[in-house]
Amino acid sequence: MIPHAPILVIVLPLFTAFVMPLIGIIAERYHIKYLRELIAIGVMIVVLILAGTIAQEVWNGEVIVYELGGWSPPWGIVLAIDALSTQMALMIAGLGTLVMIYSASYMSRDSGLSYFYTLMLLVISGMMGIVLTGDFFNFYVFLEIMSISSYALVSFRRDALSIEAGIKYLIIGSLGTSFVLLSVVMLYGVVGTLNIADLGAKLATYGGTNVPSVLVLSLALFVTGVMIKVAMVPFHTWLPDAFTAAPTAISALLAGPAAVVGIYWVARLPYLPFGMPVGLILVSLGLISMVVGVLMALMQRDFKRMLAYHVISQKGYMVLGIGLGTLGATLGTQGGLFHLLNHSTYKALLFMCAGAVLYQTKSQKFDELGGLGKNMPITALTFLIGALAISGIPPLNGFVSKYIIYLAGFQAGMPWITAIAVVVSGLTLASFMKAFSSVFLGQRPQHLQGTREAPKPMLFSMIVMALICVAIGLLPALGFNIIGPAAEAAKNTSSYISHVLGGT
Amino acid sequence: MIMGLNYIVAMLLIAAGIYCLLFKRNLLKLVIGLAVMTDGIHLFLISMGYRLGGIVPIFSSEVAPSLSEFAARAVDPLPQALVLTSIVINICITALALSLCIYAYRHYGTLDTTKIRRLKE
Repeated sequence: MIPHAPILVIVLPLFTAFVMPLIGIIAERYHIKYLRELIAIGVMIVVLILAGTIAQEVWNGEVIVYELGGWSPPWGIVLAIDALSTQMALMIAGLGTLVMIYSASYMSRDSGLSYFYTLMLLVISGMMGIVLTGDFFNFYVFLEIMSISSYALVSFRRDALSIEAGIKYLIIGSLGTSFVLLSVVMLYGVVGTLNIADLGAKLATYGGTNVPSVLVLSLALFVTGVMIKVAMVPFHTWLPDAFTAAPTAISALLAGPAAVVGIYWVARLPYLPFGMPVGLILVSLGLISMVVGVLMALMQRDFKRMLAYHVISQKGYMVLGIGLGTLGATLGTQGGLFHLLNHSTYKALLFMCAGAVLYQTKSQKFDELGGLGKNMPITALTFLIGALAISGIPPLNGFVSKYIIYLAGFQAGMPWITAIAVVVSGLTLASFMKAFSSVFLGQRPQHLQGTREAPKPMLFSMIVMALICVAIGLLPALGFNIIGPAAEAAKNTSSYISHVLGGT
Repeated sequence: MIMGLNYIVAMLLIAAGIYCLLFKRNLLKLVIGLAVMTDGIHLFLISMGYRLGGIVPIFSSEVAPSLSEFAARAVDPLPQALVLTSIVINICITALALSLCIYAYRHYGTLDTTKIRRLKE
């Protein structure tokens, strides 16, 4: 590992973000085309390589503890990286790079692109910070960096719809982050520490029985805050609006990499010894979101809005899996984390396909589209791969992770959960077949006769995503190599605590 | 007694903010509600580090003769650092929210949240 790699993956996008307006001025004065785009993509590739070098070290059984400013753990802020954080960091960097390549051509008709890339890199930097940090307040700060930039990105085009969606996202999202802050404050008041490992160790001394009631409130606030960010069903209203109105590159970024962040905390949370049955809450929220999400998706007549409701439904699967994992089904955590990996690839892919259609036809309503399969064969093919993957059809990646979650349902002794999950999967297939036939098959309207295939950078990202979907489906071991250590790390809190507090 | 008052006021502010977010229809009032709520949280946070008759948390022989006396009397510096960070973050949110309100008014000609709903058509 390169020394200081953990902090570089956060600071590099952060620094480039604020240099970006300057680069924009240079690009305009000397008429250098694609300078901003190339620099943004270049930074993302460097971040991906750095994350890769960190991953190699972590998979050898290390927990990397990076002390900011050289202050040792319980007092200073540390970055603590175990296999779970590594999975998330790799996914953010990898998918972030693809989304960046996609947006280079998707956003090429917009103005103010310097600010667009500033905000994009800030989101990436915030997400990296969230998954790598080992400090609770630091987590809140990075969460806000990510959230504020994504509020601005959602309303980037400043038309009526995106402003409306942006305001909605901002109000609900800020309520969520305020709850997280209040929860962090209460934890500090009771336990007297902000370091996550130290917190785990001190909470363990209560033994799970004699927990002060303030901690229950604190946990409730934290779960509510995180669930607003994950968009589980009672708190989901911002998500369909934001994903429909945002530029599609942003929808792909928020559906793919940004989904990672909430699920990361959902996976960490049950293993912090609060002494409360978090698992049951997660299972019930997951089940409700799965069912409601897919039912709402069936009713939609808007391409991106339908995909947005499927995001809610699929996140339900992950939360359900992780919840089952705490209720004795050891496969559950693996299934949830694996589904996160798969979901982020195919859902980003599906949004990119919707974006390609929108880019070429200026329409995202099912009623106005049709017969585009002949005009956009590659888009149609990649969309079909994504649609089959999300529905859990065997040779693709969605099947593998859904199957593990089905098994976890049996393992936890609740076969009816598996039954519900299978039904939801069938409904997903139905909804995607409807979408595929009304966009790519059937009668082609007169004004869409001359529609052309999407530009090459967009196709490149879409094809890479589709290849990942097929590759993980055919060789699940590829995914398990990443997920196995991550699921182990999520459960093995004592190793995390001893590494962070013992290491100097 | 005075210490208790801090926490009561903080909780009242948080409750008022949440009430405002739930029941008000004007966008500006929602932004105000958000600001009031976070101010409540900040008051809560800063009160936690305070102690009656505390001294500055900078260790020197003038402030406190020995380390143990310093530890017994100094206020907790950590919440002060945290609250500063949090205030800056919330200024960002308020500024962004207000600029979105301006655009919303230009597009819709109103700040009533029940009338700003073209997405659900």
